Amino acid sequence: MTEVLLLGRRAVREIARYPEATIPALFIPLFFLAVNVGQVTKTFPSSTPFLHGQGYAAFQLPVSLMFAVATASSGLALVTEIDLGYFDKLLAAPIRRSSIIFGRLAADLVRGLLGATVVLLAGLAFGVHVEAGVLGALVLIVLAALFGVGYAGFGILVALRTRNVQATNTSFLLFFPLLFLTPNFVPFDRLSPVMETLARINPVSYVIDGLRSLVIEGWVGSKIAYCCLVIAGLIALLTTLSLRAIARYDRD
Amino acid sequence: MTDRALAVETHDLRRTFKGGVEAVRGIDLWIAPGEIFGFLGPNGAGKTTTVRILCTLLPPTAGRASVAGVDVVADAAEVRRRIGVALQEIGLDPVQTGRELLELQCGLYGITGADAKRRTEELLELVGLTDAADRRTKTYSGGMKRRLDLASALVHSPEVLFLDEPTTGLDPASRLTVWDEVRRINAAGTTVFLTTQYLEEADQLCDRLAIIDSGSIVAEGSPERLKAQMGHDVVTLELNGADPAATEAAIDRLPGLERVVVEQQALALYVEDGAASIAEIVRRLDRSSVDVGGIAVSRPSLDDVFLQATGRRLEGTEEDEAEAA
Repeated sequence: MTEVLLLGRRAVREIARYPEATIPALFIPLFFLAVNVGQVTKTFPSSTPFLHGQGYAAFQLPVSLMFAVATASSGLALVTEIDLGYFDKLLAAPIRRSSIIFGRLAADLVRGLLGATVVLLAGLAFGVHVEAGVLGALVLIVLAALFGVGYAGFGILVALRTRNVQATNTSFLLFFPLLFLTPNFVPFDRLSPVMETLARINPVSYVIDGLRSLVIEGWVGSKIAYCCLVIAGLIALLTTLSLRAIARYDRD
Repeated sequence: MTDRALAVETHDLRRTFKGGVEAVRGIDLWIAPGEIFGFLGPNGAGKTTTVRILCTLLPPTAGRASVAGVDVVADAAEVRRRIGVALQEIGLDPVQTGRELLELQCGLYGITGADAKRRTEELLELVGLTDAADRRTKTYSGGMKRRLDLASALVHSPEVLFLDEPTTGLDPASRLTVWDEVRRINAAGTTVFLTTQYLEEADQLCDRLAIIDSGSIVAEGSPERLKAQMGHDVVTLELNGADPAATEAAIDRLPGLERVVVEQQALALYVEDGAASIAEIVRRLDRSSVDVGGIAVSRPSLDDVFLQATGRRLEGTEEDEAEAA
């Protein structure tokens, strides 16, 4: 446990020392929020039924939250470390290999909490109010951050398997469609039949749906449950694969 | 030999990589506690692979290896507690300062709080980086990085220290500093296993060394013994325009002469005892009126040993040594 804390603290320090890696990652979701809202506000006025009386920004906010937390930063930091040889130094130390992964994920949690808070505050500035209240807002931030933790496992996995900076850098391209084959602009029932089918089988849709329900509907138990389930599954799957990859690193 | 377990022991150690490259082909090693042992060989000889196996970073394909009496495969975690590692790729995190890096390294070895701070200060002092301690390591020079990496391998006072090419890429002054530090660490009781492609480094620093080529050990012993086994001194005659054939004729059937090698503008005479032969050589040259530019006596070098063992010279080393001198 101490090892995880030590390595996590170091990774958080890395975030603080490389603001140039974090700030652009926040700029994009904020930019999308502003641009998308600006483009469709006339099409979807607050009287639109699926907006439940709020502006379109409320509907878009969860998507921006997810963009804010979905970064390949951990994977990139890891692959850089492999490149520089520091990773070998860690492997040669008497620590569990898993602590290298958990240290990274701990930092992703911190990064996710910070990023989601910034985007939520921006949303509030856009006039969004969180229907589920202050507690709902906190849950929103935590769930978004946990989604980020799950997503980070993907970059870590690619970093360990390829040991290649470029591959890790472009790994998000594989995940990108999953963020868009979702009800990100309109609800499920407004999508074309093909899109709706794809969106309904895409687990990420239920993350958006759950986060969104907190903002515009209040507490909807089933939606929160699905959202939690998907996030837990994502974390479990990618963390397991990452742990297996690090356990097998140079072991064949 | 003491009662303590051997610092390093390997038996028929082998490593074959995917694609069939046999990097290590049956290496046997016995390194006593307290030695500075050198692995001398060119790039690609199998030095790094051997070190990675001994550091538990790579499993062997076949054979056995133990460090400080602990098997590297069966109990890798225990081996890691007993060794310090500074690999060829300098393992530094560019984001941290030197002090932070050492304190984290202490933590990974279970040294925390005030103990970690004290140990960090000691090590910064040892490698002369106290003044640079609060700068990020990316601002360090190559020599400073090496020294910090060395310090980070020592946080837990390891029994055996592995240094993979500790001075490759360093300027001559930094190289000497690293040598001094290695000697000091060894004097404090740590066994040192280092790899190098520099003859002078092996000669100056190592109590004993093995010459490795294409994954196998081709010669082993103390530098003195390896050179003594060559069995002769070398008297070099600078020709300086003198006729090689006439010169060779002049020293024909010199007592103790084993071999004459004609080099560019010089003759190398391999003799039993250089000092004893030199007066007779001068007399004979004088008698034959051969006027040579200069005469020098030298002991055989490790390069001669390498040449004899492998059939070629350790490439590029002479230039490097000229720079270092």
